[in-house]
Amino acid sequence: MECCWDKEIVAMGDCPNITEGDEDLLTSRSRRFLEKCCECERFYKDLDRFNASGHPLAPIFTVLHNDYRHQKIQIQSLVSFLDSKTLETRFLHELGTALQNSVDLDEVLSVALTAITAGKGFGMNRVFLLLADRERRLLYGHLAIGPRSPEEASQIWQEIASTDMDLRSMAHVFQQQKLHSERDKFQHILDKLQISFDDQEHIIVKAFENPHPVLVQDAFNNPRVTPEFARLLGVNSFMILPLVSRHRRIGAMIADNFITNNPITTDDLLSIETFSRAVAFAIERASLYEKLQEQVDELQTANHKLKEQQELLVRMEKMALVGRITSSVAHSIRNPLTVIGGFARNILKATSPDDSRHSFITSIVNETKQLESVLDEVLTYSDSIYPARDFWDPNQIIEAAANECQDRILLQDYSLKLHTNAELPQVWVDFRQVVYCIKTIILVNLDGLTRGTISISAAVVDNYVEIKIKDAGRNLSEDELEAMLTPFAETCQMGSGLSLALCRNMLDKQKIPFLVIAPPHGGVTYSLKLPTIKEKNHEQIIDS
Amino acid sequence: MNRLLIVDDEENIRILYSAELKDEGYEVEAVSCISQALEKLAEKSFELVVLDIKLRNENGIELLQKIVKERHDMPVILCSAFSSYKDDFSAWLADSYVVKSGDLSELKQEIKRVLEKKAHRKATGF
Repeated sequence: MECCWDKEIVAMGDCPNITEGDEDLLTSRSRRFLEKCCECERFYKDLDRFNASGHPLAPIFTVLHNDYRHQKIQIQSLVSFLDSKTLETRFLHELGTALQNSVDLDEVLSVALTAITAGKGFGMNRVFLLLADRERRLLYGHLAIGPRSPEEASQIWQEIASTDMDLRSMAHVFQQQKLHSERDKFQHILDKLQISFDDQEHIIVKAFENPHPVLVQDAFNNPRVTPEFARLLGVNSFMILPLVSRHRRIGAMIADNFITNNPITTDDLLSIETFSRAVAFAIERASLYEKLQEQVDELQTANHKLKEQQELLVRMEKMALVGRITSSVAHSIRNPLTVIGGFARNILKATSPDDSRHSFITSIVNETKQLESVLDEVLTYSDSIYPARDFWDPNQIIEAAANECQDRILLQDYSLKLHTNAELPQVWVDFRQVVYCIKTIILVNLDGLTRGTISISAAVVDNYVEIKIKDAGRNLSEDELEAMLTPFAETCQMGSGLSLALCRNMLDKQKIPFLVIAPPHGGVTYSLKLPTIKEKNHEQIIDS
Repeated sequence: MNRLLIVDDEENIRILYSAELKDEGYEVEAVSCISQALEKLAEKSFELVVLDIKLRNENGIELLQKIVKERHDMPVILCSAFSSYKDDFSAWLADSYVVKSGDLSELKQEIKRVLEKKAHRKATGF
């Protein structure tokens, strides 16, 4: 016998197929026979001799031996298939977990693109992602990933091989380090990937008719692919993955093996189909979350603004209340004091110093004087609690003035365009006076006009916020401008207030530069420069 | 002799101001409300009006606006119990603003100053 199948125990070296790690087979005859002898050349020679011996069981044994070998190969193939499916299932599970746990669009896209190109994943060389723009009814190139040359590919794949990262970690690294650079790298292609949904003949749009992955082969000669599109991708074979979530077109992915030119199989398409559904759903969810987040941010901003307005109202209510109380006190006390003190002084003038009543009357004069001083102090203190000038948001000033004019604006079929800017610094002004001035400017400007537009804008100019009130439809001659700035001038319609002269006076007192620009070709612009720094510093700047 | 019109709803104030300003050499007439003031202004010529802002149920600012609109050359001194009258910016249209006090020196000085200014304007045209 050449083979060792008939020996109960063999030594290392007796069988050429037993190597290190197979030591337990040396003493196990049955296992050694099934695992090694059945495939051994020495056994085949023994089997040939057995067949040549004419023993009646020899042909049967050969049949059994062949069938055993065949079954063994099938089992090995099934095990290999199961292993690959297990890996695929694990990968899909990992991918699903990563996609489910993310609501950030960039993160979802990073996971998706990493999965499709990673060796552990679908192992494609390159992928382009197109997203749907429902308003413009088109698909546009949003992102791409992959090497542009074999050298770059070799470098990238070596980098990946040197770090044993899971999918999520790889996607995280991609998002942090490569998302923007990859986009820039493929920008020239992404810019040209604009496909209208109305272009029914385009292969990408057609792919949505039956939303399963599509394998495109022989692209340069394929009648379904336009030559421009084939040239743009530069590959002969690629797959299209329509991304559809609940019958809505979310986007599409185009994947190819640009570097290796490995063929894309129908098995690849099948395994990637489940993936594309999960990606479509995740992208839609992340997009919706992004929109929701924008809405939440808008609501928070509106809420914040509302809170500020409420605080402003409370503040102004307090100011008004203090004003009313002090007015009442002033009127109730000061008039009697004036009368008492005044008459006492009058009598004192006519009383001789020798008169015994002189000192009494002097006392009345002094006491009333003292009371007047106390009253002045109280009123001054009340005023100082809520100083007229304070730091205010210029947007609030503009909006408050606009609100006060709203009725007249509507009545005269005018429109008021406010260009507020949340970035503006606060201004050091008397809120009520400046609101009054802007309101008066608008109302004076409105006199006699209908169906026009007034725009109010604000911008930072040096240490000021310049508020410009413009009406392109108002024409003012020099005389009219002069009249406008003169109190109760005959030529000026004063239906709305006290003329701009009063505003100019008020603004002068606050050192707020005020200009009216009325060029001969028409239109008028009123400019108010509100200081952004406190009066003391402001005056220093003006003086200098 | 300069003729002054005092408009104040407080009788004692009218008496006091009349007495004090007559002592200063002015011819003084005093009324308590806007309608009486307008009647007086239509009836006689006055060099200056001393006007209180709060006139019972009336607002002295309304009279101020009428005077400024119809009689540009008629100076008005607002004489009010309010140390700082902020409720109506129209008060800024007056030629002067004096807070009421038992010591009438400031009022007298302002009357003198405003009348001199008026006389100068009349003489020079500015």
